[in-house]
Amino acid sequence: MAVKSSVRAPRLSARGPSRGWKQVAANQAFLLPAVAAFIFMFVIPLAQSFYWSLTDFTGYDPNPNFVGLANYKLILADKSMLSGLAFTIMFAVGTTVVVTALAIPLAVQLNKAFWGRGFARSLWFFPAIPSAAILGMVWRYILSPLESGALNTVLKTFGTGPVPWLSNSRLAQLCVIGVGVWCATGWHAVLYTAYLQSIPAEYYEVARIDGASSLQQFFTITLPLLSPAIVVSTFLLMTGGLKVFDLPFTLTNGGPGFSTYTITHSLVQFGVGQGRYGISSALAVLFTITVTAVAFGQLRLTRIMERHFG
Amino acid sequence: MKRPGWRRAVLSVLMIALALLIGSPLYYVLVNTFKSLGEMTLSPLALPSHWSLDNYAKALADGSMARSFANTFYVTAIAVVLQLLIGSMASYAMIMRSSRLNRALANLFLVGFVIPTQSTLIPLYLTMVNLRVVDTLNGLILMYMGGSVFSYFLIQGYMRTLPFDIIEAARVDGAGSFQTFWHIVLPLIKPILITVGVFQGMFVWNDFLVPNVMVSSKENRTVVLQVYAAVGQFTTDWPLFMTITVIALVPMVVFFVLMQKRIVSGLLAGSIKG
Repeated sequence: MAVKSSVRAPRLSARGPSRGWKQVAANQAFLLPAVAAFIFMFVIPLAQSFYWSLTDFTGYDPNPNFVGLANYKLILADKSMLSGLAFTIMFAVGTTVVVTALAIPLAVQLNKAFWGRGFARSLWFFPAIPSAAILGMVWRYILSPLESGALNTVLKTFGTGPVPWLSNSRLAQLCVIGVGVWCATGWHAVLYTAYLQSIPAEYYEVARIDGASSLQQFFTITLPLLSPAIVVSTFLLMTGGLKVFDLPFTLTNGGPGFSTYTITHSLVQFGVGQGRYGISSALAVLFTITVTAVAFGQLRLTRIMERHFG
Repeated sequence: MKRPGWRRAVLSVLMIALALLIGSPLYYVLVNTFKSLGEMTLSPLALPSHWSLDNYAKALADGSMARSFANTFYVTAIAVVLQLLIGSMASYAMIMRSSRLNRALANLFLVGFVIPTQSTLIPLYLTMVNLRVVDTLNGLILMYMGGSVFSYFLIQGYMRTLPFDIIEAARVDGAGSFQTFWHIVLPLIKPILITVGVFQGMFVWNDFLVPNVMVSSKENRTVVLQVYAAVGQFTTDWPLFMTITVIALVPMVVFFVLMQKRIVSGLLAGSIKG
């Protein structure tokens, strides 16, 4: 019976609960590995993090003392954590703004026909492929503040320098953000190009007949129609920026001082480095709340965008 | 879209110049791998006076580089295959049976989609210590199993677009759940498996955070850790360090050239769902 009706209306019968319990059990068994991965990789560790954040757990004592919100207070008073927080936000906002400002015009240009376009696109895109950690190490040599650093050697031929790229706090922060922009701009331009290609060419033709300049076309057609892409791209940059670790770790190792320290750097340092799991967990809890809030904010924004432009 | 020839030529020149500027750090690294330290210090940007492969011989001599490649390949391959398998099995079950329980589970899985590595890193590290798999390659693979949930989301989105009749036809022919999954469903979803595999493979191959926390012994280093160790070891021998970097990047370049389209579609799929 079930077979017969399934031939006629496959979707309904397949989704209905009317099949025998054996088949249901066989079906549900396919979920077990994913459920196990979910429990062991997310549910348990998140619960542990939250619990430890309220204790003075050091990793050995099975019965740590409950300390309330002391760890959270400690975080908000610790110099390294505060500068880690400050630089992480600075990096996230900085790369988001600069990459977006560069990637959209770049995408518009890369979308035009010109000789060598494939080559240009590949070169821009490539820095997104290798590990950011390795690229950070490469840039560490290029931006070496010594006179023999690659960039300083170039500057010398122009009669200036040496510039203390990575040894000055403010400059080091700008360098980390600059390298982050170098890594991400090309790939976000490719993302925008995918959306650009879905804008009908007639829109531009009509605008041109009406005498709109290319700048006017950009602001009245391209930019508004790219807004869903802007939401996706800026969201990725923001969450990616908040999670940043590899690049500053290998480029500056958080220095000079704590000027390019990141939240993740503190988290690893306190947790794995010093075994102060309480503090590290409190930081992880705050971090999780922030990233989740940004993620759901983005989700809402996408829904609003869809209502307006969909 | 007619534009005057000279405007197109100007655009070409400008865009290629700009792209070369973006690529110049890579040139700097590559060109110095063929020089001695002395020559690099004197003329870091010029082409080498003679192309020497000494640095490459030195970098590959002790076999640690080759070992790190084997380690990374092992971890990436197994972790990604497991992620894809677990993810597509879950997608299959969710598509075949949409009960209230399964819908609730699907919503719960969203948590695993949003939560970053950092949130669970410390407790998972301690668990690995207790399981005595810290500083082993298999322990590293375990750490990446959370990616199964991410893979599930991308795979089930694709699976919903498939014609359901094919799967039902297999059922009618008397195929069991597992046979249907293995012989019918998996071949059908091959495109998304490749896309997600490329995306997740890049992530695992390039990851620094988890190996840096998990791996301490020399023989278990991944490629990224090997390069990181070289920075500390060869602080003064820049060309040797550059050579190690280039060797580490070569597979990425090959992969990029071969898979550029897949990478782009993978990144787009990953970004739009995320």
